[in-house]
Amino acid sequence: MKHVDAIIVGGGPAGLAAAIELRKKGVEDILVLEREKRPGGILRQCIHDGFGLTRFGETLSGPEYAARFVREAEELGIPCLCDTTVLEVTPDRHVFASSSEHGMMEFEAGAVILAMGCRERTRGAISIPGTRPAGVYTAGVAQSYINLKNKMVGRRVIILGSGDIGMIMARRMTLEGAEVLGVFEVQPYASGLPRNVEQCLNDYNIPLSLSHTVTDIRGTDRLESVVISQVDDHMQPIPGTEVEYECDTLILSVGLIPENELTWMAGAEKDPGTSGPAVDESYQTTVPGVFAAGNVLHVHDLVDFVSLEAEALADGAPRFLAEGGLPECPLAVRGNELVGGLTPARVSGTSDVTVSFRVRRPLRDCTVEVRQGDTVIRRRRMAKALPAEMVQIKIAADKLNTTDDLEVTVTC
Amino acid sequence: MEREQWDVVVIGAGVVGSAVARELTRYQLRVAVLEKELDVACGNSSRNTGMLHAGFTYKPGSLKAECAVEGNREFDQVAAELGVPFKRTGKLVVGFTEHDRENILKFKAIGEKNGVEGMRMIDKEEIERIEPHAGGEFAMYVPSSGILDPMAYTIALADNAAQNGATFLFDHRVTGIARDAESDAYVISTSQGEVRTKWVVNCAGAYASEVSEMLGYPNYPVRGFKGEYFVLDKKAGAYLKTPVYPAPNDKGGFSTHATPTVDGNILVGPDSYVTEGWEDYKCTKEHLDGLIRDGSKMFEQMRREFFIRNFAGIRWKRVDEEGNVLDFKLESDQQGHPNTVNLVGIESPGVTCALPLARRAVALLVAVEAPQKNADFDPVRPAPKRFYDMTREEQAAAIAADPEYGEIVCRCETVTRAEIRRAIHNPLGVHTVTGIKNRTRATMGRCQGGYCETRITEMIEQELGVRPEDVRFNRAGSYMFTGPVRGDAATAGATKAPAEAPEGSVSA
Amino acid sequence: MLREFTCIMCPQGCDIKVELEDGVIKSVTGNTCLKGEAYVTQEIQNPMRNIASSILVDGGELPLASVRLSGVIPKDRIFDVMAEIRKVELPAPVHEGDVAIADVLGLGVDVIVTKDVEAA
Repeated sequence: MKHVDAIIVGGGPAGLAAAIELRKKGVEDILVLEREKRPGGILRQCIHDGFGLTRFGETLSGPEYAARFVREAEELGIPCLCDTTVLEVTPDRHVFASSSEHGMMEFEAGAVILAMGCRERTRGAISIPGTRPAGVYTAGVAQSYINLKNKMVGRRVIILGSGDIGMIMARRMTLEGAEVLGVFEVQPYASGLPRNVEQCLNDYNIPLSLSHTVTDIRGTDRLESVVISQVDDHMQPIPGTEVEYECDTLILSVGLIPENELTWMAGAEKDPGTSGPAVDESYQTTVPGVFAAGNVLHVHDLVDFVSLEAEALADGAPRFLAEGGLPECPLAVRGNELVGGLTPARVSGTSDVTVSFRVRRPLRDCTVEVRQGDTVIRRRRMAKALPAEMVQIKIAADKLNTTDDLEVTVTC
Repeated sequence: MEREQWDVVVIGAGVVGSAVARELTRYQLRVAVLEKELDVACGNSSRNTGMLHAGFTYKPGSLKAECAVEGNREFDQVAAELGVPFKRTGKLVVGFTEHDRENILKFKAIGEKNGVEGMRMIDKEEIERIEPHAGGEFAMYVPSSGILDPMAYTIALADNAAQNGATFLFDHRVTGIARDAESDAYVISTSQGEVRTKWVVNCAGAYASEVSEMLGYPNYPVRGFKGEYFVLDKKAGAYLKTPVYPAPNDKGGFSTHATPTVDGNILVGPDSYVTEGWEDYKCTKEHLDGLIRDGSKMFEQMRREFFIRNFAGIRWKRVDEEGNVLDFKLESDQQGHPNTVNLVGIESPGVTCALPLARRAVALLVAVEAPQKNADFDPVRPAPKRFYDMTREEQAAAIAADPEYGEIVCRCETVTRAEIRRAIHNPLGVHTVTGIKNRTRATMGRCQGGYCETRITEMIEQELGVRPEDVRFNRAGSYMFTGPVRGDAATAGATKAPAEAPEGSVSA
Repeated sequence: MLREFTCIMCPQGCDIKVELEDGVIKSVTGNTCLKGEAYVTQEIQNPMRNIASSILVDGGELPLASVRLSGVIPKDRIFDVMAEIRKVELPAPVHEGDVAIADVLGLGVDVIVTKDVEAA
């Protein structure tokens, strides 16, 4: 068994950014464990551009964005074991990982950084009725087949869900000669970014139908058709609105779920608001020395924020390594009914903190307030707020007291 | 292959057909199994709850009762021989009202008559001790009930049959049967040409009545009782270790219930409604909504975050003119239809009864044919321990011996490259993605193949030297790819020369 | 005439309103930066886009290398450029920044590789 100061689970944008920043903060003994053949994570298949505007001030494709971090990590001499899957993280920070090259490995980590990212919600998770033919793919799987494996998944396509990946795949498949008949979204608003509605759908005359969903999948061998129905205000299909579309492919872009199996093995508590682990202002989970950042914590809209969050994580972890613990965080952070996916769950009141969340539905002319007791610490007016976009509010330590919980409210 | 003559052709590679094939290989007989799909157990053999039934709801003296009790008793040995996961969990049949108690006691008496051992009434306190999450004021505890994976069991039976010399011909749909009296043979027309055989055993499941008629027996009326299911995440499995059933209704049927699977998931279902479609396996919003409603009553953890999949199955019950359900039909009319064995209306508890039925079917043939024993018959099917089930030390040793054990292909179910590779080279020559899934559990976890499916399709292509366009998801027409994104279809993909193409090959 | 746009210059996606009179822009509102004004001006005159796709790589660790354009092209030329991209096959290795097609169709932009693909 080998001791490592900081083990990072996942060599995607969060893991690499955390590794680089930890090294810059003086943590020498770092190991990144990555299950793919090369580091970079999901960005390796996100070949479209639009990444990096916040982090680098320029617009890059996914592979280019990832490569910047991969190169920097290489230059800093940070070791990354690829083709290596972490099987278990224990509450006392033992990490078991397996690879063909190195066999079964056990490490004892000073700190564990969880950066596993997220996975896609599937057909089964949302119980789409119908038969089970071939031709039903999640958007990320289709993207992997098309952009990495050189396999075209279909020719006549329906897309369920207006998540960003779904819209990006609508454009991608259109460019490759497929006919995308439409994108259908159960919510009354697009779940991805407005610019993707514009540049991925409108540019290619792909219709977006809101308040619609798939109510039947037909075909025994390969997909033959899907039935689309309009839904009511409670997202229940309205009888009589069914329209059958002949197609050979159904792409699902119906949400992302933080991938936290290792997190729960380590004994971390869940934040019911994000489905990820509950973390404090240092991105430490409820298990001392186990940290989490990026999409494993809560699903981000932009990779730039994933990187920035992982870099922010690198403040607390070195302190934990040096001092054997971090300040107590007794103050809870709570949101009102319009606030979703709020992090962190707890703060100390003695450090700077970035609170991030998403509004639960599209809003115009709303006000965000952060309060402690009767004191309003921050107030921000927003002309427009969309669930597709993460709201981040930085609060300086000197604005905070150490006795009252933080209340985040959005009002309209 | 199609030119020669078999001693016995079994029609249908469900659990009964596979069990019959396996039992036939105890004799020196040339056995072929014709299956219309690309794998075994594509129909109702795998589309059920996976209970090893005790036998307390079937009419005393019936084939169902006799075979269920016999199949239940022997299953520890069967599971050990075939290397299939099995847990004798026992079962709780819980009741709330006096009417429930009456029905439960009625079936307890039937069970005792059928020879079911160890059934006893227990109070609330003991229910709590056996299964803390079960409801009910009282219950009947049935210690002999168990859970198994019916798909894994059928695969194991078929593998063992193949090991002992049986041949499985997939993608062979039977379209007609003619008797060539001159050569004392049957000529079976299939979607892949004619197959000649001396004996025919009908194990066609949903289509058994149709095949029965082809053989000259009656087209027995059957009625399809369809049920839909939810599969819940293993996280939900932590809340239930023992199958908990509500008290049976007056006819011996059970409404929606929750059952743990041998792999640690939970099944919620089935409901029950009549269907006309022979393969109407689609799930419907109406019934899934109903399962959520009724399932929550039996299993409190029926939460959306645990939903990973749905499926449906149909019990094709043989019925009389009034619609009363009849017993399994097992017959062999040597005078009227020589050299045939006919099995019709085999539904629940068909998985439990498969081997006892197979023995009875084979005995009818043996009585006429008197074949020599197969001295080389080996009832044991090699089944290496799953990586998932190994201790860390065993895992380390496995990787040291074969480095492909170190590469985790399916993250959710911890399935390694070595295991996928072995599954691709399975004894039956099955190459579908679903076939690999059913042999390894890869893609069966919460991400449903989001991570591993791209790797599995690539491995199928590499290991078998087939093009992406030739990969099949489950059925013959279930292509997954329409071609390469770039470049010529002829040159993309295949990196190795095609391996010897077995029957039903995806490259055929 | 009033025209409405969703700006695609950054993830914020501002709703921009443009007041036009005989094709001449009278006012631009709703944008939160100057890029937005430039975007709608260009959009009214001649919409321009970048695209991302893949080219075939011979003998690489991956069958494809991702590519994008070094700059924007007229929106109505996207499928013409895709046809060019489809014709190209590069021998491995290829590296980020390699020019797969220089000055594609004389449009003044290059098709550039965005991912390293080493030889297999």
